Amino acid sequence: MKKFASIILGITLSMMMFAGCSKAPVETAPAEEAASTEAAAPEAKAETETAPKSDVKLTFMSSMVGVPSEALEQACKDFTAETGIAVEYSAPGANYEELMKTKMASQDLPDLWNTHGWSVARYSEYLRPINDQPFAKDIVDSIKPLITDADGQMYVLPSDVDLAGIVYNIDVMDKSGVKVDDIKTWADFEAACEKIKAAGFTPVHIGGKDNWTIGQYFDWVAPSFYITNESKNYRDAFKDGSFDWKNWEEICAMLDKWNKAGYLNVDALTSDYITGAKALGEGKVGFEFYGNYAITEALGAFPDAKLGMMPVPAKDASDQPTLIGGERLATGVWKDSPHMDEALQLLNYLARPEVCAKLATANGTPAGLKGVESDTGIIKPFYEKYANVKTFPYFDREYLPSGMWDDLCITGANVLSKQEGAIRDAAKHMETSFKDKFSQK
Amino acid sequence: MKVKTKHIMNLFYIPALLLFVAFVVYPFTQGIRISFTNWNGYSQAYKYIGLDNYIRFFKDKNVLGAFVNTIIYGFGSTIVQNILGLAYALFLNSKFTGRSVVRAVIYMPVMIASLIMGYIMYFLVQYDGGAINDLLILFGKAPVDLMSQGPRAVLIMTLINILQFVGISMVIYLAGLQNIPEMYYEAASIDGVNAWGQFKYITLPLLMPAISSAVVLNLIGGLKLFDIIMALTAGGPGYSTHSLSTMVTNMYFRGQHAGYSATIGIFTFIFIMIVSNIIVRYFDKKEVEM
Repeated sequence: MKKFASIILGITLSMMMFAGCSKAPVETAPAEEAASTEAAAPEAKAETETAPKSDVKLTFMSSMVGVPSEALEQACKDFTAETGIAVEYSAPGANYEELMKTKMASQDLPDLWNTHGWSVARYSEYLRPINDQPFAKDIVDSIKPLITDADGQMYVLPSDVDLAGIVYNIDVMDKSGVKVDDIKTWADFEAACEKIKAAGFTPVHIGGKDNWTIGQYFDWVAPSFYITNESKNYRDAFKDGSFDWKNWEEICAMLDKWNKAGYLNVDALTSDYITGAKALGEGKVGFEFYGNYAITEALGAFPDAKLGMMPVPAKDASDQPTLIGGERLATGVWKDSPHMDEALQLLNYLARPEVCAKLATANGTPAGLKGVESDTGIIKPFYEKYANVKTFPYFDREYLPSGMWDDLCITGANVLSKQEGAIRDAAKHMETSFKDKFSQK
Repeated sequence: MKVKTKHIMNLFYIPALLLFVAFVVYPFTQGIRISFTNWNGYSQAYKYIGLDNYIRFFKDKNVLGAFVNTIIYGFGSTIVQNILGLAYALFLNSKFTGRSVVRAVIYMPVMIASLIMGYIMYFLVQYDGGAINDLLILFGKAPVDLMSQGPRAVLIMTLINILQFVGISMVIYLAGLQNIPEMYYEAASIDGVNAWGQFKYITLPLLMPAISSAVVLNLIGGLKLFDIIMALTAGGPGYSTHSLSTMVTNMYFRGQHAGYSATIGIFTFIFIMIVSNIIVRYFDKKEVEM
């Protein structure tokens, strides 16, 4: 027994040593310390020495990960170097929404945080309106309606504008004989899928283990069914809660049809987002219903991949293809922040053209402020090509009450699992949840 | 003097009592209060809706599915873990070369965090590039999407839970076996009792305290199964592999039904408490004095 215990103890200690040697978490890094210790740019270093010291330490929570998060953290460090006001920056990644919900519930919020598309519907109760700030007049017109509440109040600085369509692999299209410019309706899209499938590729990838990828289908497709057609749409019905959810069955039926026709990957229920993005870069998959971040992810693994973005097809010939838009990197200030002046100072720092340009470039998206140019990388020609395509907000953010995202994901998964009556049940589930949450509004 | 000392000794309970009140009693009473509201989990505005959440709870087929899954995770794991754990313990209680190594190997998965274990196993069972499918392809068979069907995924996750925690049962039974005096077996041998008889009339009755501990620990762990599910399926496809624990989290954070989530949580707590009590009482009656 002694020998056994010694082995266990030895293994445990070894593992603890390895844990101690591993890289420390990067989520929390007081910008002040980092700015003073890192081999920062000489000018920033010089400014650190001259910047007045402040006792204030702002807290900033970000929903960003990867390159955009690093750019935002660097902006906070530069702010500290310039003003002497420390910023404790944290980016908890996948747990961000859960953390923010618990912080809102306990009213213990950071001074600033990112709102990832929910500045009005979810976070406005806790945010300070920014209409009186100098940058408010420079916010680009296309995003203004998406970040303004019924009383005309805006709550965030949008560093960029999320503009998304369907991402695709150009090589796969060429090899399959598909011309994306010819895809105007979902019928055209299905014809393209048929060609891609016949050429031996997977037409559309869904990574259902990350079930938000199923929700993305609805977010991408629903506007074309219910919102974008000027001659017949259900915008008011969604807004006043009178939408007849029987109509929802047709969008579920299309997903079911694609699944049964073999347009989706075989493991649509159990694959994941990263696998999908890599498959796109590798040239195994034709289309994906993800934002342009999937292109960044795919290029990370396959830098030479030829990827593009196209507008979302219309339901039929009576409508036109559209793009999807909304908040991406948007920052607000807690209305009860004990450091309101300093928090607003940081917000205005982030609104400076050169800082805003850096942040938008890190996201590969157009800037959210007028007169600011960002580098959108390989997507640039597509933004230019589709500059005149009409843009509609993310469906769930605009037309569903907060908290229904999971319903889209769950009901979609049930449809994909080919359960009997799943389409009817999905519409019923959506109706019940919509009424329930609509009554809470 | 003795009475005074006794009173002073009682004061030492206070810190533990305060911690219990702060971290168990208070949250539980708050949970009960929230279960009567329509709170979304983050807003300061909510209203009391009486028993609506409880009525919904008993009508909700998704919760019923999660409850059935919880029973499978809990009782399925417990039964197999204990049979296997006892078998390992009996085998490893005998002396042979390499015994310590075998014990360590069986116990090792316990030291891995369940979430990590889940992610490791994902690489085994995933459709695209999973080790099992690679083997199937190697033998000319078609790959199978193992986790795409709820019942099969529940079974796989139960097996993973068993694999991870069978070491705990083994250690508990080993300790129990080493506490049984050798003279009982010697006396039984002299009386001509065979191996099965010795196991049935000496080992099992004297192992009852160990069985009680192992069963209750495994049962509570299985009924609360969370990490492995989150790593492998996150409750999906749909709601098909949720346990009550993952359902609580899902309803609170993703569904934004904190009130309903609290209702499920309270039911889970009461259910586990009742089941554990029944099991403990049952084994208490079976225990014999050494």
